[in-house]
Amino acid sequence: MARSTPSATAGGEAPHDRSDAPAREPGAPPSDSERATASYVYGILPGDVELTPEARGVGDPPGEIRLVRHDDIAALISDLRPTRPLGKPADLMAHQQLLDDVAAEVPVLPLRFGAVMESPEAVVRELLAPHHDEFRDALERLEGRAQYVVKGRYEEGTLLREVLQEQPEAARLREQIRDLPEEATWDARIRLGEIINQAVERKRDADTQALAEGLAPQCVAVVIREPTHEEDAAHLAVLVETDRQEGFEDALEDFGRRWEGRVTLRLLGPQAPYDFVTTREA
Amino acid sequence: MTIVQPSAGGAPGRPSSSGGGLADVIDTILDKGLVIDAYVSVALVGIELLTINARIVVASVDTYLRFAQAVNRLDLAEHQKGLPELMQDMTQGVAKSKTKGIAQGALEAAGEKLREFAGEYAQEPAPRRRRGREED
Repeated sequence: MARSTPSATAGGEAPHDRSDAPAREPGAPPSDSERATASYVYGILPGDVELTPEARGVGDPPGEIRLVRHDDIAALISDLRPTRPLGKPADLMAHQQLLDDVAAEVPVLPLRFGAVMESPEAVVRELLAPHHDEFRDALERLEGRAQYVVKGRYEEGTLLREVLQEQPEAARLREQIRDLPEEATWDARIRLGEIINQAVERKRDADTQALAEGLAPQCVAVVIREPTHEEDAAHLAVLVETDRQEGFEDALEDFGRRWEGRVTLRLLGPQAPYDFVTTREA
Repeated sequence: MTIVQPSAGGAPGRPSSSGGGLADVIDTILDKGLVIDAYVSVALVGIELLTINARIVVASVDTYLRFAQAVNRLDLAEHQKGLPELMQDMTQGVAKSKTKGIAQGALEAAGEKLREFAGEYAQEPAPRRRRGREED
């Protein structure tokens, strides 16, 4: 929920944005409230943004979203009282929703879920300041680019008919188990399923490759993700120039038509470039 | 076990576009993105995370039996099977599976079946594709 407002850098903060107050003197002991509250870190983004007030964070009750700035970069954080384990569905959705909203407006380096630091001051001192140049360079490279995820799922009937046509042994085993109870045909069923599974894996590899190659000319980069379901046809993350988004969607729709009745395609995004940020060597 | 609302389906030939359900979120934010430990050493706060992992596909005996059951039910003469019928078949398949000791989970966004294993399958490495469980 950030808006790119280059003109509103210093003067535009809401009064509650305490993080922009001068940092505590080095060496001063943390106050009680600082000890009780930690800072959940969502991602790193350019400093010249401001937040819309409705953005909500992880935790229960959700922490208020804030920016802590260092030079021309900022970290998106919220206060977190670590009173319960993190990772309820609402936490996960809040993390991704917030970063996706931000990514629709400005470049952002998303952190993996679950990053918590001691305080806003520690975020500046240990995260932003020491790695400023690296983060700024990465943000510049992501300017005008967005990530999308493409998922393809086979239509089961079409998929199985293809396999039966191409695998004579599968067709034969199918006749063998036809209308017989599972207990009586256990071995044949396992063998049949194994043949089908192997055939599906080969189809997935081929279709994933075809989709990746077909979309690549419209993308900055393509990452092939692991399948998340045994009937997945393809699972890709792509980085797309925002002004070439139409060409990308056209290319994807070509596949949608080519695979109609066979593969259902889903397009997710734009989202933060999770698959295209690289953690440096620790 | 988490039940995810189905996302809007797209028209044939046209990919549907959406923000994605919880399953898609889990695939992304739990094992993608920058890892803070690589940048910060001192001021990290260790916080307990619920045991949720990105989904993985592990081919198993269960996968094979499911494929065999699906192909057994497949009517080769009927090429234009509608979605409601497919869903119905799926439900029937579930009911049959239960007699073999497989407890069925919930339907997920894209129609994925979530499964847990019980009884006689306890010996097998449980190939849960998705472990979106809350333990609190």
